[in-house]
Amino acid sequence: MKKKTYVIFEHTADIGIRVSGSNLKDLFKNAGLAIFELSSEKISNQDKSHKEISIQQKADNLEELFLNWLNEVLSLSAAKGVIFESFKFKRLDEKNLQAVGVGSSITNYKVNTEIKAATYHQLKIKKNKSGWQAEVILDV
Amino acid sequence: MSEQIHLEKIDDYRWRIPKSYKPGMRVPGLIYADEKLLKDIYQDKALEQVANVAFLPGIVDNSLAMPDIHWGYGFPIGGVAATDIEEGGVISPGGVGFDINCGIRLVRTDLRYEDIKDKLSDLVYALFNGVPAGVGSKGDIRVSAREEKELLVKGAKWAVEQGYGTQEDLECTEENGAISGADPEAVSQRAYERGKAQSGTLGSGNHFLEVQVIDQLFDAELCDTFGLDLGQVTIMIHSGSRGFGYQVCEDYVKNMVHCLNKYNINVPDRQLACAPVNSPEGKMYLGAMRCAANYAWANRQCLMHLTRLAFEKIFASSWQKLGMFLIYDVAHNIAKVEKYEINGKEKNLCVHRKGATRAFPPNHPALPERYKKTGQPVIIPGDMGRNSYLLVGTEKAVETFYSTCHGAGRVKSRTASTKSTNLNVLLKDLESKGIMVKASGRATLVEEAPSAYKDVNDVVNVVHRAGISKRVCRMRPVGVIKG
Repeated sequence: MKKKTYVIFEHTADIGIRVSGSNLKDLFKNAGLAIFELSSEKISNQDKSHKEISIQQKADNLEELFLNWLNEVLSLSAAKGVIFESFKFKRLDEKNLQAVGVGSSITNYKVNTEIKAATYHQLKIKKNKSGWQAEVILDV
Repeated sequence: MSEQIHLEKIDDYRWRIPKSYKPGMRVPGLIYADEKLLKDIYQDKALEQVANVAFLPGIVDNSLAMPDIHWGYGFPIGGVAATDIEEGGVISPGGVGFDINCGIRLVRTDLRYEDIKDKLSDLVYALFNGVPAGVGSKGDIRVSAREEKELLVKGAKWAVEQGYGTQEDLECTEENGAISGADPEAVSQRAYERGKAQSGTLGSGNHFLEVQVIDQLFDAELCDTFGLDLGQVTIMIHSGSRGFGYQVCEDYVKNMVHCLNKYNINVPDRQLACAPVNSPEGKMYLGAMRCAANYAWANRQCLMHLTRLAFEKIFASSWQKLGMFLIYDVAHNIAKVEKYEINGKEKNLCVHRKGATRAFPPNHPALPERYKKTGQPVIIPGDMGRNSYLLVGTEKAVETFYSTCHGAGRVKSRTASTKSTNLNVLLKDLESKGIMVKASGRATLVEEAPSAYKDVNDVVNVVHRAGISKRVCRMRPVGVIKG
């Protein structure tokens, strides 16, 4: 069975997620995938085409980079009509990110929850014994 | 939990967070609630957020919270903050939210409940089929790239020019459906891309279209003026600026996080990122936010047009003959520049309403002639199982920068609501109350179950008793379309 990489925590109006990863790339990847797993379920495989979209972000610090990353994948998903199914990182440090997202057509999915954006409110990223953990509140 | 905050009681409906609660607060917090609602308010972190908003540079009088307040991100939902533009007052995209000009419109009809009850099922299906709803839903109302820029400036007027309404509809819309100062150049290409094809779509989450019946009159004279009576059918449409608005907000939060250092602004939460209204960043955000506001007014105008078409189909009559006239359309997520007298001086304030409704009093210059005597119609939706309200603005509301509540306000998280709600039981319960529901997703229904919300009757009671708006009539839902 696939190991659960995130849990939901309670927020009155929105959704909070606590994500973990064995390293920074893993954390970013898991958080990116979590927002699509939360919002949508695959219902068909009719459109077999896959779109590769390159994603680049710069920020002043790690928290900002993490938030920009989540908002960029949400925004690209809505604008390009894809649901991301995997991410590969070419580069990731505290201030820069270069990645490729592979997405399947949104028509293969049923989107149950519209996630508008990720927010800075109570955003936390920390390194712990087993790797990295982040908490972020998503506006739904 | 906000239990550590000690509130000072001012009267039965007003409670203060003193400035001394947190170093950095520039003004006190002022919460409109009664003891019953306060119990819910204490359950989450909304009061802490009221205190955080009081840090904003240039904030005037109080950081305000309406009785439907709950925990948001940055601002609480139900928060109001006015900043003095000439005194370095700031504008914060987080004080408007991602769904810019999320708002509500109320349409009257000449139909009575007896006229629709046997056709309710057909009507609900016609509305569900005619009005695109659901996440990322796309509409039949297509807008070319060139037209989209025009739409962002003209707002609901664009829709009327396409034949989706009348001049009278515009008169009954806040800002006549188009706020001036919209700057399409301040909008990113991505926002255009996200907004494309979503005009005339309802969206999902708490957005809805409801067929309602008036079940209580509070002010017979005002009801007469609005042409409303017991048993009469009304329609409520709740939607916003869709993906276009989310992207505008995101772009400018990203930008304004850097303004905190640049303008030496100290706020306890980066989601309160802001810039002086008069700074280049502040002006650009205002220009882009106004585009999104106009997008939302065009969207709700298109949604009303589609609603009128569905009614015409079911009742084989024109919408004019059915008396389907707009009462009013008002935003509840927006920042507006408005004039107020502060210490004897007229000031231009930037009023943020984040889950709060503008409520102008009788004779306010911004009101159309038809509402000069009544005051501005204020539309308050409740949850899908209880009630909604029509109120009017009052002079007393100058203390809240003419603002009031915007809805029932959530009390239970979406996950908690999903865990505790059985969809079949919910639908049976609604059916027993004579409410028919059609939704594009099961998830939305359980997340939006009535038990997830405060009782709108309690919320409206507070704003009425506190005098910051006045009850006109109450509606109950009979047909609900959800995204």
